[in-house]
Amino acid sequence: MKYFISVLCIILMNLQIFSQEILLEAESFDNKGGWVVDPQFEQQMGSPYLMAHGLGKIVKNAHTKVNFPEKGEYHIWVRTMNWAPGEWEAPGRFKISIDGVLLESTLGLRSGWGWEYVGTTKVEANSINLELVDLTGFNGRCDAIYFSISNKKPPASLNKLTEWRKMVTAEPNAPEQTKSYDLVVVGGGIAGCAASIAAAEQGLKVALIHDRPLLGGNASSEIRVHTLGIYGHFERILRMLDTEHYPNGSPESKLDQEKRDRNVKSYANIDLFLNWRAYDAKSMDNTVKYVDARQTSTGERIRFVSPYFVDSTGDGWIGFWAGAEFSYGRESVDIYGENWDEHGELWSPKKADNAVMGSSVLWRSKKTKSKQDFPDVPWAMPVARKYEAVNGEWQWEFSRNDLHQIHDAEEIRDHMLMGIFGSFWNAKKQPENANRELEWVSYLVGKRESRRFVGDHIFTLNDAKEGRKFPDAVVIETREIDVHYQIILEDEDNPDFISEALFYKTPKYYIPYRSLYSKNINNLFMAGRNFSCSHVGLGGPRVMRTTGQMGAAVGFAASLCKKYAINPRELYTGYLKEYMDLIEEQKSPKNTILKQ
Amino acid sequence: MKIGIKSVILFLVIISLELFNPIYAFPNNVVQDDISENEPEFFVLAWKEGTILAKKETSMYIEVDSLGRQNINILVNKKQEPVLFTSNISTSVCADGECRLMKIQLYWTLLGGYAGFDPYPGFPLTKHEHDEFLNADYLKLHQLLLDNKSILKQRKIDELIDKPKQLDLNGVDGLSGATIAEVKETVVAGALYSCYVAWHLVHGVIKVKLKAYTLSKLNDEMVINMLYSNNLDYQMFCLNSIDELQYTEHHDRIMEIFDSGIPLVRSVIIKNFAENFWNSPELQKPIWNYFSTIDVNNRSLLLNHLDKASNEILEGLSSELKVMTKNQLKIYLLNLENKISIDAAIIRNLRKFSEANKYTYAYLVQNFLEDRE
Repeated sequence: MKYFISVLCIILMNLQIFSQEILLEAESFDNKGGWVVDPQFEQQMGSPYLMAHGLGKIVKNAHTKVNFPEKGEYHIWVRTMNWAPGEWEAPGRFKISIDGVLLESTLGLRSGWGWEYVGTTKVEANSINLELVDLTGFNGRCDAIYFSISNKKPPASLNKLTEWRKMVTAEPNAPEQTKSYDLVVVGGGIAGCAASIAAAEQGLKVALIHDRPLLGGNASSEIRVHTLGIYGHFERILRMLDTEHYPNGSPESKLDQEKRDRNVKSYANIDLFLNWRAYDAKSMDNTVKYVDARQTSTGERIRFVSPYFVDSTGDGWIGFWAGAEFSYGRESVDIYGENWDEHGELWSPKKADNAVMGSSVLWRSKKTKSKQDFPDVPWAMPVARKYEAVNGEWQWEFSRNDLHQIHDAEEIRDHMLMGIFGSFWNAKKQPENANRELEWVSYLVGKRESRRFVGDHIFTLNDAKEGRKFPDAVVIETREIDVHYQIILEDEDNPDFISEALFYKTPKYYIPYRSLYSKNINNLFMAGRNFSCSHVGLGGPRVMRTTGQMGAAVGFAASLCKKYAINPRELYTGYLKEYMDLIEEQKSPKNTILKQ
Repeated sequence: MKIGIKSVILFLVIISLELFNPIYAFPNNVVQDDISENEPEFFVLAWKEGTILAKKETSMYIEVDSLGRQNINILVNKKQEPVLFTSNISTSVCADGECRLMKIQLYWTLLGGYAGFDPYPGFPLTKHEHDEFLNADYLKLHQLLLDNKSILKQRKIDELIDKPKQLDLNGVDGLSGATIAEVKETVVAGALYSCYVAWHLVHGVIKVKLKAYTLSKLNDEMVINMLYSNNLDYQMFCLNSIDELQYTEHHDRIMEIFDSGIPLVRSVIIKNFAENFWNSPELQKPIWNYFSTIDVNNRSLLLNHLDKASNEILEGLSSELKVMTKNQLKIYLLNLENKISIDAAIIRNLRKFSEANKYTYAYLVQNFLEDRE
């Protein structure tokens, strides 16, 4: 019954009736068929959406029932985008069907997100059955479908659209529910999971909010990057979360995924909010008061209140919304003295710029016993050019100085998809690949670098080079610092979606606790790639066992902050010994019983 | 380690030849009697005809495990200006319990970069089973040595020959290890150990010492010579060393490098042009002519200076909208938006672009024009 009421609420919420118009969010379809929910770019294009990620094979229809308050003739618009526009047929074409009748208009044709007019339909019953019909298997995307008696196109610009959405759905400003926790962790990558476990083990009531169905972020079986780095003080916790050292993109990640999900879910005092994406945070007097999050399919909303927050979103959204200081791009080599003569400008520029390490989309193909066709992909060839490949490892990475790793993430992902499909198409021309087919291509962007918060200490290359031993050293690492660059910088004939790494060997190095809380937001911890560091400083500790150490360190810190009702900085200034004892204790035998 | 008696005898013979017979001490075509008149067989720098270089000793050396110090010499031209570093290397290469002597003459640039090598007459490099290097093998070695970021840098020799784990999960085909595949592509088949040793000789700690040596003797003339060299490292070093005045003085050469250079060198040039360059419509005009032919990253760097661009340049760019990425087009339009008035010719070009019905981002220009109406 509870389920029924929930479903009813969800339906009412998503099919809000406002006069004679209905806005149907695609991600709320009853049955998504072979379409996937993609919530990655909500902050840029306005909403999670459905995508036909079929690797060139048409995906099953998504379908849902739509209730109408009144019969009549309705105009229909679909919010969509052609993700590879040019002088060819759009790759992501699709249609809609109503009560089994396919409507004529082909969708997914316009450049940039916006509304495409479908036509009109006569609604003669209280409800209709609506289907999304994929035509290509190449990432057609549908954000929303709008029915209206009036022939007025919905607004296009993001600001107007957001306001219009609220009006049409009659959504109040504040979420319907409020929940309070001792600690709210946003982002369920390895860092966020480790923070949640550490805090929960110390008795805190924790909310872990994550916008995907699976935990692990870049290490998840959806992205499949293996974890690197050492365990430091936190072997027991990190072994619950990490991966084996299989090749990036390997399906072995599924085994580690099961382990990770099982372990995090075993903590009674972690409330896990999977498929919930934070969309706002508010701070007053430099203190985060709450984080608002939305269920990525149903649109349900919750306000999370807590005295302490961990931003492990990677992109640093919580701190960004709360007004935390952050940096983005490469500092001038002189700012922190991070030069490496041998690689000069590639390593650290003479003048600051907005270049950063890129994002990866991993993929693989497999041999089969019979010939496999792969469709022509003319829209991919301007990116792939003549490059041939049958698998994509970490080098499949894209960054360009006109693209921001957060604001332009969808374009970056789509550029990678073009590189992948085009390179595979090229490889398929070789006789030895006749039986090959694509097995898996991630549609999630595996980011390396985006916002880096400013803490009381900014970790740099020199901290690593000199192996500085901080009094608050809570993270230990031995992995070399490696910074990536796009190989097209060295030769224009190189593909622009492939990178190279520069490795700087360092001694064992340490990251201080002071790099794990915000300098200007009093109750904000950060763990993961958004910790306080320079561009080059990020090169080593960005890997996931290291970010996991950061997570565990802030989880334990939060427990002492709660105990003494202090802020993260006060823990360093007044309670450091107790904190470091607690960190050190994690290596004791009682803490080495492994939970697998 | 097993060393066969034959190897020991060969080794002793070579050592004795090196000690007592100067004819064998240096290859004929490179440094003989301390003079070099011929271009090294595998070489990356330009070698002008008639070049004569004299060898001078330095206090630098490479320590080779088995054979001790290998001295580094500097080659100077007639004006006694340093041109290259070189060393006659004899070292043992051991694989599968067998050691062989490898002899090679290496050359470095003044900045410690790889410049080339000469095989040693009468002592060709050898592969597995003592097969001699063919010319193609020497060329491959040259290519390997050119790559200062080779995978050989990060790995111990043992790691390069380890077979990767094969993956077989749920019937999925095994993935071949990327590492080993990459190594195979870059080294001479059957000569991994020789390649590994040669690479580490060239790119070892000696590079830093060589550069430091040059820096200790550096003068303006040497720096400017580097600008006129075809060597990327030299060009980059010079571009990051010279001042604003020298940028103006050598403007033509810098634009030549910009024209023919890789994206990285172009970006250094754009970043290093000083305010006076961007404040001068005449000085900056030529670089904008490259806008449609250079790479995307450098187009973005140019657009950072749009606020200083003349109307003439803005008009020229209005004919190049098709090569701009979405964000570049936005920057261009934002710049126009901030202007009190826009030239009619620019508006005409914008309209033409927006109405052509074939450009991906035409809608951005349409929106812009609509907003102005």
